[in-house]
Amino acid sequence: MNSFRKVGMKKQLSFKQQEDLVMYLFTIPALILFVMFVIIPFVRGIFLSATNWNGYSQHFKITGIKNYVRLCTDPNVLRALGNTLIYGCGSTLLQNVAGLLFALYLNKNFVGRTLGRTVIYLPVMIAPLIMGYVMYFFFTLGGAMNDVRAFFSQAPLDWLSDGKRAVAIMTLINSWQFAGISMVIYLAGLQGIPTMYYEAAEMDGVYGWKLFTCVTLPLLAPAVTSSIVINLIGGLKLFDIIMALTGGGPGYDSHSLSTLVNRTYFGSENGGYASAVGLFAFVLIGVISYFATTTLNRYQEAMS
Amino acid sequence: MKKFIVPFCAAAALAAVTIGITGCGKQGKKKTGPVTLSFYSNMTDVQADLQQTLSNEWSAATGNKVEFSAPGASYEELLKTKMAANELPDLFTTHGWSVMRYSEYLMPVNDLPWAADINPQIKPVITDKNGKMYVLPMDVDIAGIVYNADVLKNAGVDVDSIKTWSDFDKACAAIKASGVVPIHMGGKDNWTIGQFFDWAAPSFFVTNTAANERDNLKNGKFNAQLWEQLSQLLADFVAKGYFNRDVLTADYLSDQQAIASGKAAFGFYGNYFYNSAMQYNKDARLGMMPIPSRSSDDEPSLISGERTAIGVWKDSLHKQEAVEFLNFLAKSENVKRVASLSGTPAGLVGVTAEMGTLKQYYDKYAAVKTYPYFDREYLPSGMWDVMCSTGADILAGKPNAVKNAAKVMEQNFNDKYTK
Repeated sequence: MNSFRKVGMKKQLSFKQQEDLVMYLFTIPALILFVMFVIIPFVRGIFLSATNWNGYSQHFKITGIKNYVRLCTDPNVLRALGNTLIYGCGSTLLQNVAGLLFALYLNKNFVGRTLGRTVIYLPVMIAPLIMGYVMYFFFTLGGAMNDVRAFFSQAPLDWLSDGKRAVAIMTLINSWQFAGISMVIYLAGLQGIPTMYYEAAEMDGVYGWKLFTCVTLPLLAPAVTSSIVINLIGGLKLFDIIMALTGGGPGYDSHSLSTLVNRTYFGSENGGYASAVGLFAFVLIGVISYFATTTLNRYQEAMS
Repeated sequence: MKKFIVPFCAAAALAAVTIGITGCGKQGKKKTGPVTLSFYSNMTDVQADLQQTLSNEWSAATGNKVEFSAPGASYEELLKTKMAANELPDLFTTHGWSVMRYSEYLMPVNDLPWAADINPQIKPVITDKNGKMYVLPMDVDIAGIVYNADVLKNAGVDVDSIKTWSDFDKACAAIKASGVVPIHMGGKDNWTIGQFFDWAAPSFFVTNTAANERDNLKNGKFNAQLWEQLSQLLADFVAKGYFNRDVLTADYLSDQQAIASGKAAFGFYGNYFYNSAMQYNKDARLGMMPIPSRSSDDEPSLISGERTAIGVWKDSLHKQEAVEFLNFLAKSENVKRVASLSGTPAGLVGVTAEMGTLKQYYDKYAAVKTYPYFDREYLPSGMWDVMCSTGADILAGKPNAVKNAAKVMEQNFNDKYTK
């Protein structure tokens, strides 16, 4: 179909084209902001990653791929990479399992259901940095966790002094804080499942675990995709809780790639190298998110 | 409608770049009439309040305005971001880094009326290799090791008998035997870990007139073996249990609480520690002692450096007014107020600060040699973080932490050193 109406010798846009044009015009302010605050700094970051810029001077030298070569063998980067994968994948697993369990339980009709949903969602409302500071007082030497140990006649423990333990604690805190988001997504998914499927399953004598795996879970596939991708990106970018609880320490033991970029830029005054680490983190999160989304979309199609 | 996507994206990108360029450009022409100066300070609490008061007094006298800002812990990060954008405040404090970090952005002050009156104790620290000075030093930071006098007395330790690190070790053992933590460090604020190295390093690298590394460090040679010995000193103290149990997770505030309340003896902090610590216990008897030497053929020393030092941004649009404000701050009565509040000597000759209980220590140790802060004078900028992180590994008791500390310090020194 010819999309243009010829009026005399001039081509005029059709009504649909005019509608589309207006919609594109509305995107321009957001596009401008996106280019200014994301694209331009990103391109500049790529350039700076090839320099020895200290982060504040107006003078620097081009060093080529030196920063990337260093990144490949820097034990601090490798450790931060491992921690980032734990924060991302560990938090995603815990948040989704907990969120799904909460949603399954709180989808039933009982007194106190709304209160339960509110209580579980409340930690999401607290700023992660504040949550970190609050939790610091739980895990400090004279904190609540050692009060519990004292109740059981155990000696106090400096919970955050061991890097691996600190990483596990922060993964748990992050999971607990944002399990409410998964709960909300799964609740929406559960409420979108037509009851006729359950009625049909009941008629066929399908109950319990089989009902969950054969009916509920396949129909929750879109919710699973959304929840996992959101949690994964959030976990891989974890920053505030780490800064509040350990600052990335002891030493460099609990840094994520995000906090390492911060420390390398401001602490070590190595802006060029920090840009390289930041770019590496971007590629990593992008690749993981891409594979996660692709895999989950295939799962979704298979379920449907 | 795909034909619209590319032109729209291109238009948006062009618009964004145009806005960015015009937005980042220098701000307009200089206006006549009263001006507004921006003044950033790294100080907090009462020191920041006094600087705000001085700003208000100058504003009232001249009709110009001063927008004073004291961002606290994020000051350095904020200034680094502003330096990167080349958009600095008209005046800002340099907290020890006027030459090594900020000189690229500061206006030299050698020609200003008070420059000739700068305290000789601080003058070398704020002068670059070309003889240029960049800041007004309102006071002089003189630092030793802070201690709780009552704790030492109860443990039977005579502070005047501590001349070397070996004497310090024995004192710590006696304090530990008395049931008190010898050294309190708030390692979660990892700058407190760097403090140990900054305090102890001069006794290894600098103070011994007969054998020191001053010239080597200035010429880009780092003695990794010596740093390993310094790191071993820290490791030995850790192994002997001289630090608080939560050394890696306690913070600086807990240091103040512990030393002021008699739960710990020593802290590696400057005299800024006193006013803050006394808030926890007004009756605390806190003292300052020189930093021990490495061996008996050397002498204990003190550290001196910038504390409240203010400079003018060399590209300020209101340079004349900024200099007038700086000259106002340099008046004797204002220098006295700032130095008295810090409890430190004044930065200008002819001004006598009221130093309170600390005066007895300044008088007692007037003949003790002072040396600049080790990292500011002898290490490239950016090494502080390396000292903190390698020190944390030693405190955590990691395998090979001492050797790694020396190796990493050497690597970073060589990477960052510039002539």
